This record gives sequence, structure tokens and C-alpha cells, in this order.
Amino acid sequence: MRKTLLSLSVIGSLMAGTALAQDATAFRDGFVAGDVSWEDVQTRAKEEGEINLYYWGGSDKINIWMDSVAVPALAAEGVKLNPVRITGTKDAVDLVLAEKGAGKGLGEGSVDAIWVNGENFATLKRQDALLGAFADKLPNSVNIEWNPEDPRALLNLRDFGVETNASEMPWSGQQYVCAVNTARVSGDAPSTFDGMMSYLEANPGKFTYVKPPHFIGNTFVQAAMYAHNPDGNGAVPFQASIGEMGAAELARLITPGFEYLKALEPHLLGAGGTARYPEDPKALDGLFLNGEIDFSCQFGLYGVATGLRDGTYPEGAEQFVFPEGNMIKNKNYLVIPGNAPNPAAAMVMANYMASVDSQATKLEIAGMPPGIDPWRLSAEDSAKLDAASPGLVGVTQADLDANTAPDTNATLVDVIEATWLEYIERDSSESIEAIVANAVANLK
Amino acid sequence: MPETKELARHRRERIWMWIQLMPVMTVLVVLFGGALVLGVAQSLGFAPWFGVNTFPDFSYFAALWGDVFFWKSLGLTLYYAIVATLLSLVFGILLALALVRTFPSKTLYKYLYKLPLMIPYTVGIALAVIMLGNGGMLSRLMAFTGFIDDPSQFPQILKTHMGWGIIAVYVWKQTPFVALTIYAVLLGVGRETEEAAAILGANKRQIFFQVTLPQILPGIISSTLIIFAFNIGAFEAPFILGGGFPDTLPVVAWRYFNDADYTLQLQGMATVVSIALVAGVILYSYLAFYRRYERRIGRN
Repeated sequence: MRKTLLSLSVIGSLMAGTALAQDATAFRDGFVAGDVSWEDVQTRAKEEGEINLYYWGGSDKINIWMDSVAVPALAAEGVKLNPVRITGTKDAVDLVLAEKGAGKGLGEGSVDAIWVNGENFATLKRQDALLGAFADKLPNSVNIEWNPEDPRALLNLRDFGVETNASEMPWSGQQYVCAVNTARVSGDAPSTFDGMMSYLEANPGKFTYVKPPHFIGNTFVQAAMYAHNPDGNGAVPFQASIGEMGAAELARLITPGFEYLKALEPHLLGAGGTARYPEDPKALDGLFLNGEIDFSCQFGLYGVATGLRDGTYPEGAEQFVFPEGNMIKNKNYLVIPGNAPNPAAAMVMANYMASVDSQATKLEIAGMPPGIDPWRLSAEDSAKLDAASPGLVGVTQADLDANTAPDTNATLVDVIEATWLEYIERDSSESIEAIVANAVANLK
Repeated sequence: MPETKELARHRRERIWMWIQLMPVMTVLVVLFGGALVLGVAQSLGFAPWFGVNTFPDFSYFAALWGDVFFWKSLGLTLYYAIVATLLSLVFGILLALALVRTFPSKTLYKYLYKLPLMIPYTVGIALAVIMLGNGGMLSRLMAFTGFIDDPSQFPQILKTHMGWGIIAVYVWKQTPFVALTIYAVLLGVGRETEEAAAILGANKRQIFFQVTLPQILPGIISSTLIIFAFNIGAFEAPFILGGGFPDTLPVVAWRYFNDADYTLQLQGMATVVSIALVAGVILYSYLAFYRRYERRIGRN
């Protein structure tokens, strides 16, 4: 008797699990097709009750904003936000793929949303681990430009050249900006790669960049590739995928850039011995603050303003235009994986993150530039964002806008990164053509 | 021939012994053995969850061992591990010998020297960064007192392939451990044999090398075995304080695991298995060598 009851309850819970998954799938299909009203989403979100947001937890400012602003705001909507801080976005992607591999479908996984862009999004998309086109159906998606006719929509429609298909919601936008320590550098900071080389010849060891494969290091390398493009058209050819371009063409485009980086290496930090590349932006900040390097390049429009405010940047720090015409700009996003346990709550969270209020407080507290597009907002909302901005130091928005370049296609980033590791780090004696061909062949 | 019947009492004892061993055996076989088998299988191309299954496939080991940088990394790994182990051993023996003597405030010192044992490695690494780094306390003090113009001119201690930072952290943490083990052995042995040797006219050198050292050898062997095994597989210190490429093997493995390209994880597993092989061979021959020595001097 007891055995029968036990097996019945096991079957019962299994069936409930299946029913839950089917129910979640029906909800997802309905929402993506536009058949589910927002009220129904909110009701379902309250039933689900919580949402697990996985994000890079290395910035205290973002963590403070998350805990003190986002958590209470979502609690007011009946959803408990669990911020899961990870040291690398790849950890969350790994978890999603491992659970997917274990047969856990929608409603059964453990990751509801991840803060991603670039290669990690490309991986999720390639592995077919996305929920679907949700971002353009949220009420607050009116704040975002989705019209493909408008060239400014490109950053919302493509993530490192990979089409987003509205399966991720733009959360923040960033530009690669370099800072100079004016207390140590007299005169104008160099604005071109050649200028940087002459500066370092006179002042050896006073610059370095984050080591690829960290994306901040990759971005510096990409900017060098754009600036040394033998055709002189900068970022333009780098928007194509490796399949469209071919290894030989890529090798031709990046050879001058890599030769420059190779020539630069003996003048970087540690000049005389082996060049030293910091592992991550925190280590870079430390070098800059200690005066070991005079320039520091990383993503962060307001990095200098917030860094000066909390003492993580040296007092003389100012932003400057480098490299001219090739300051890479991109967006980062919130993605809902295909096996999210709480899909409706994840949508409510994403909708909140796209609101003007959350974007303005995030900008003010965490210094993260808005991911929504100011021209889509009312004058009042747009002014709210402007008021929240920590401000630029030493450059104007017009300077930055005039020197913007788009990010590199994600498939090329993999190859360029592998080439850097082989040609610069391992000091390979092979030709760049051979290295690139090899890297492309290894790409799966 | 009639079979000798096992006494019921003996059987019961044997079963009881197995029951007592069960918990430890389960952990060893399931967790450790299972992970080992899975690791070896993965390094030989078995990873259907990434869509890779070419088992048995030795190409991962071939690629790894065919690369000159693997051997450079192995050399660095062994260099940090051996130098740190030897230094800890020397300092540990000196400390233990000092501790068996009486000196003022010995009770306090006996607590003080154990302090690093209780502090985690990561804290030790953080201390090294704060004290010895180019933006650290020492460099700032030097700049403040005018020995150098700028903290960045301070000689590079951390993040070089000489590995002084890594070795410093290991020695700082492991000297008390060695001292503790040898001190315990010394207390057990007592001082009578040393005194007898002294009365018979042996000088200090002879006493140490011919009387004390053979007595504390078991302590030396067990403590160096443990710290060497740790040093060869440790990740944090070489990752944070190391000189960058070429990295030590555990860091190399981590880089493979952390790459966006999943198939590189198999290469990473091959690296991990290589570390286990190297460590296993070294530790096994070390023990075998010691056993032979013990047999030669008539100890069992």
C-alpha cells in the first residue's frame, strides 16, 4: 500500500513537472507571437515569484545599484529579484548549456536572465539556447529604436555583428575610451597609434593594455586593426563574418595592425624585460592609479568621472580621443535563455530594466550609460537621463561621436584573439596568414 | 584436501573492518576515482555533452606535449614547487630545532609562529600584493623616503618569472607547517640521544647530521610530500603573482577551461591529467626512494 502511494506521488510530481514545462512553452509561444497581454505576463510573473539574474559582479557600484534600487523596485511588482554575481559571464552560459544538455527545458533550468554581449551571445545563439523574440514586445521597448531603416538602430539589431532578433534587450551602451594622467604627461596626449609609439619611445614602459582574450584587451587590438587597415576604410570590412570574408582576406586586413602591436610590445610596461599585460580592468586601474602607466584604455564613458569621485582614478585623470576615428562603441544586453525557470518574471525584470527610471538611477549610481535610445524619449525623460549623467572629463560628447567605430563581428573576434595569443604572446615565428588560417580551421 | 573453515569470529571481525572502511572507501572510489576516470576519458576525447566523442583519441596529449611551451610551463611549475619546498624545509627545521630549546617568551612564540597556518593562501597573496607590489607599501615607503623618485621604479618582485612573490607566499605559509610536524617528531624522540652523542664527543655538525636528522626524517618526508603536492597543483598564487605567459600548468589548464571555445576544455583536461601524472610519478619515486633508504638502515 505504502509503495503504491509512493510511486503514485512520484508519478504525480513527474507529471506536474511535465505540465509545468508544457505550460511554460505555451506561454512563451503565445508571448512571442504577441497573443499574451502584458497583464497576463504580470499575473504569471507574480505566480512564478522570483527571477535569477546572472551578471558579472566585479563592480561594486553596479552591485550597490542592483541591491538598493532594482531589487526593491521589482519587489513592488511582486517579483523577487535574485542577483547572482559571477566572475565571468561564461560561467552562466556554461550553466545554461550544461542544463540544456541534461535535458532541462523551459521552466526547468536555473538561469532566468544573463547580462551578455558579443561572443557569449553568439555562443547561446549558435547552441540554440535562446528564449526567442521577446525584447520588442515589452511595454518599455518603445524606448528602444527597432526600426531597421534608421542606421542608429544597428546597435540594437546586431550584437558584435550577430543579429539579435530581439532575443536580448539592450541594457547599456559603452564606448572604448582612454584616460590620461595629466599629472605625469605634459602637453597633448597622443591621439593616434603612431603618436603613442613615439611617446613610448621617449617614455618607455608607461603604457599597456589588458591581455586578450579579455574582451577589453580584444577591443584595443580591434581598434589597432581598424586604424592599420591597409584599405584605409577602418571598421567597414570587419562587420562581415569569417564565412563571408575568408581567412586569406582577414589575414591581409590585419597584418599591418599586428605588425604594429609587435613593434609596440618592447615599449610597453616592463620595457626591457618581458612586456606585462594586466589580466583584467581592475589590475589596469591599479597600474594607472599607481602611476606605473600614463594611459589606461577601457570601456566606460563615465569611468573617469566616477573613478575620480570614488578615488580609483588618479587626481590628474582626464579622457582623451584615442585612437582618432576608431573609438569602438557597442551595447550590452539582457538575454533570457531558452530554459529559464521563470520566463514571465524575467520579462517583467527586462521591462523594468528598460524603463527610464531604472536607466537614470543606474547611470547616476553605477555610471553605466543608458541602453535605451534618447531620441525615442520625451523631452522630459531625456532631460532626466542628462541630469543623471556623471559627466565627461576632458572631452565632449561631440568629440566622442565624431570618432565612433562599431565593434568587430563576433566570429572575427575569435580569430583575431587567437592570432594575438599566437603571434604576440607566444611570439610565433609563423606568418600571420598561416596563423589566421590555422585559427579559422580550429574554429568550430 | 579439506578446506580450512574460517572461524565465525574471524569472519565477523573482517566484516566489521569493511563496514568501518566503507565511508572512506565510498568517498575515495566514487568522488575521487569517478572524477579521475572522467577526467582521463575526457582528455582522450570523450565529451559527448560538447558534441565531441572521438574516444580514444591521443591527439590532445600529442598537441600538448608536442608544444615547447608545455615544457617551459612544466619547468616553471616544478621550479616554483621545488624551490618553495626546499626553502620551507630549511626554515622549518631551523624553527623546530629552536623551539625544542628553552628561551624567554617561548610560550608566546609557540602561538605566534602558527599564525600563517590559520590564514588562507588568498590572504597571504593579498598581503604580498599590498606589501611587495610596485604600488605596494614598501615601494611607497621607498618613494616617500626618497630612495626612488616614483613607486614604479621599485624593483619588480611580483609578476616575474623568477616567481619571488609566489615562493614567498608558499614559504611564509608552509614553514610553520614543516616546523609543526618536525617539532612533534623531536618531542617524541626526546633529547637523550643528542646528549649522549655530545658526551661521547660529537660536535654540533655531527650531532645534527648523524643523530638528529635521521630521527626527524619521517617528519621531513611526510611534510615535504604534502607541501610539494600542494605547490605543484596550486593555482591562485601563480595566477595572481606569476609573470604571465608562459604560465604554470594549473594556470594553463584554467585558461583552456575558461576559453569561450568549448572544445578547448578537452585540451584543458589533458593538461590536468598531465599535472596529475607528473606529480604522481615524482611523489611515487620520492616515497620509493625513501622506503629503500629505510630498509637499508634497517627500519621497517
